[in-house]
Amino acid sequence: MTIFSTSTSAFFERSHSGMTALRLQAEALQQQLGTGERLQRASDDPVAASRLRTLARAGQLTRIDTANAERAASDLTLTDATLSAFAETLTRAQELAVQAGSDTLTAQQRAAIGTELEQIHGHLVSLANSRDSAGHALFGGEAAGQAYALDGLGNAVYQGTGSAGELALGDGQSVTRGLTGPEVLTFNLAGSPTDTFATIKDLALALGGASADPAQSARDALGALTGALDAVATSQTVVGTRLAWLDFVTSRHEDLGELRASEEAELGGTDLAATVAQLQEVLVVLEASQASFAKLAGLSLFGRLN
Amino acid sequence: MASDLLSIAKSGARAARVALDVTAQNIANASSEGYVRRTVRLEEVSAAGGIGRIGDVSLSGVRVDQVIRNADLFRQAEVRRTGADLSRADAEVSGLESIEAAIEQTGVFGAIVEFEGALQQLAVDPTDPSLRAATIETTRTMARTFNIAATSLDTAGQGIRFEAGDDVDQVNLLAQELSRVNLRLARAADASSDQTSLLDQRDSLLQQLSERVDVSASFAGDHSVEVRIGGPAGTVLVNGGTAGSMAMATAGDGTISFTLDGNPVTPLSGALVGRGQALVKLADARAELDSIADGIVATVNAAQANGTALDGTPGIAMLSGSGAAGIALASDDGALIATAPAGAGPNSRDPGNLSALRAALGVNDAAGALDALLFDVSATVRGRSVTRDTLGAIAGNARIALAAQAGVDLDQEAMNLVRFQQAFQASGRVMQVASDLFDTLLGIR
Repeated sequence: MTIFSTSTSAFFERSHSGMTALRLQAEALQQQLGTGERLQRASDDPVAASRLRTLARAGQLTRIDTANAERAASDLTLTDATLSAFAETLTRAQELAVQAGSDTLTAQQRAAIGTELEQIHGHLVSLANSRDSAGHALFGGEAAGQAYALDGLGNAVYQGTGSAGELALGDGQSVTRGLTGPEVLTFNLAGSPTDTFATIKDLALALGGASADPAQSARDALGALTGALDAVATSQTVVGTRLAWLDFVTSRHEDLGELRASEEAELGGTDLAATVAQLQEVLVVLEASQASFAKLAGLSLFGRLN
Repeated sequence: MASDLLSIAKSGARAARVALDVTAQNIANASSEGYVRRTVRLEEVSAAGGIGRIGDVSLSGVRVDQVIRNADLFRQAEVRRTGADLSRADAEVSGLESIEAAIEQTGVFGAIVEFEGALQQLAVDPTDPSLRAATIETTRTMARTFNIAATSLDTAGQGIRFEAGDDVDQVNLLAQELSRVNLRLARAADASSDQTSLLDQRDSLLQQLSERVDVSASFAGDHSVEVRIGGPAGTVLVNGGTAGSMAMATAGDGTISFTLDGNPVTPLSGALVGRGQALVKLADARAELDSIADGIVATVNAAQANGTALDGTPGIAMLSGSGAAGIALASDDGALIATAPAGAGPNSRDPGNLSALRAALGVNDAAGALDALLFDVSATVRGRSVTRDTLGAIAGNARIALAAQAGVDLDQEAMNLVRFQQAFQASGRVMQVASDLFDTLLGIR
């Protein structure tokens, strides 16, 4: 607007409001530089602030998903190691069965092999009762206690639940966090499900004298032991695939995290170069207006009168 | 000959003195709030020739006719109108900003996300006592953050209502002052310095009043003012020597309404309106926060009722109370979180009910609702700030326009000082001449 006449107080008020506006601008820019944040409060840019909240929420939940995935991975790695121990033990049992199948062995020697197989049975039971990183039964599904217990006859009986349970990994992805005992230790022999523990227990008893032809029993058991080993090997493949899936999910979390970080920086971060340039511009204008104000304010007719 | 050189010079010297006084007064009040520049109007004193005295010279000098107050009624009304708009916007934005701060800075959103995260973490091992304890503590934090946000909102509301109450008191005080000024104006002599200073007072009071409520002023012949609230056809606040009494009533939800002499009145602008608008928004935000808190309580407790606690007993309510102010943790025993589905035994690792709870919370989407609430409030603050800045520029221009016209220009006063000083000296010189003339006459011998 055009004002033709002027008064002293109007001049001072105009100068004051102009310089105050510049000062406020400079201070806002300085605050952006000082904090590195473009938004000091949500009302500075409501849309960006809402997006930043959503990103922060997704980031926090993804961090927990990643931690959960790492925990599942460590349990699966434990499962993998235990499965290797199963395989080694079963291989030893297979060797013993081959030895016992030889007709050159005496009854005492076969009985000794039977004793060793009984020990192997015990090892297998304790392996099957391994604990995961949280102290729960590794092969017990979601059961509270042990995966296997021995009944009165010394047979291992599964006590866990039917499945190992799924763990959500965020974004609708999930992973089965382990294997149950029967998934590893039950295999198909000639069309009927057979238990690894029972196979070894029976062989041990047969070699100990329960069978009329222990050598033949040992030779018969070889096929079953091969099936048991195959079941363990298959389980290991499953565990390996799940670990690979977890790797994939974790690296996807990392990729998404990088995307989020760059979007957060873009939305809420200060563009240093642009902000410094803006601040410089405002400061130059402010200095100029201060200097011109001082000059104009000094121009009083009273100074000229004497 | 009816003229007297000495008395003409005397009247000239006196007029110059008065003009110098007024100039000095202007200079002294150059930065006084509400002071309007005065000028002196001088008028020649001379008698018209009468019968038989045609062609006679009858001069009697000069007299001070009037002290003029250079106020522009239109610009003053503009300053009041734009000032009232600005005060309204200012009060509304400052109220909204405290609402925004109460919800945003208490971190309710973050607390809800933490709660979701704790449940997610619990899913990895539902029987882990430390994870259960962590979940309980985050739940407690969330409940307390809701409490703090509710308290902050209530405190902000109390602050706004306190300010509104103070504004109402000020309005009543200013109205009484105005009625007194009206009475004195009716008695003051026309164009006297007494009247001009009363007019300054009247205008200054009107301007202060307009910062609180909208003011429709109409001026009578004796310069007294009638003030109405709520537009030119609104309720009378001040009429002559009588001032109305304004009062504020607070509704159950914290919003405010006003009465003038017992009758409801709706101001159109001014700080009171802005505070009222902020309180309406605050009541909305408070209700929304309450419904978000109630949603969380209902969802969590419904899921708890469907599940089994760690010891195998049926789940019991985990949260109690209602509303953002009432929400509280019902039990701080982590073992009571019903992660397992109904019918599961003790120490069950089955996270079925936990999954159901998380799914229900996902449907309830408290974090999303709170984000929407924050967005709503902050977008309102943003929009109103833009309005406020625009109104600020308009009001500033109106104020400067009035100041330019009604304010004191020191350069001009310096010139006046010189001018009237010279006039005074010249009148003195005239006296000297009169004295010389007299001496000349006496000296004739």
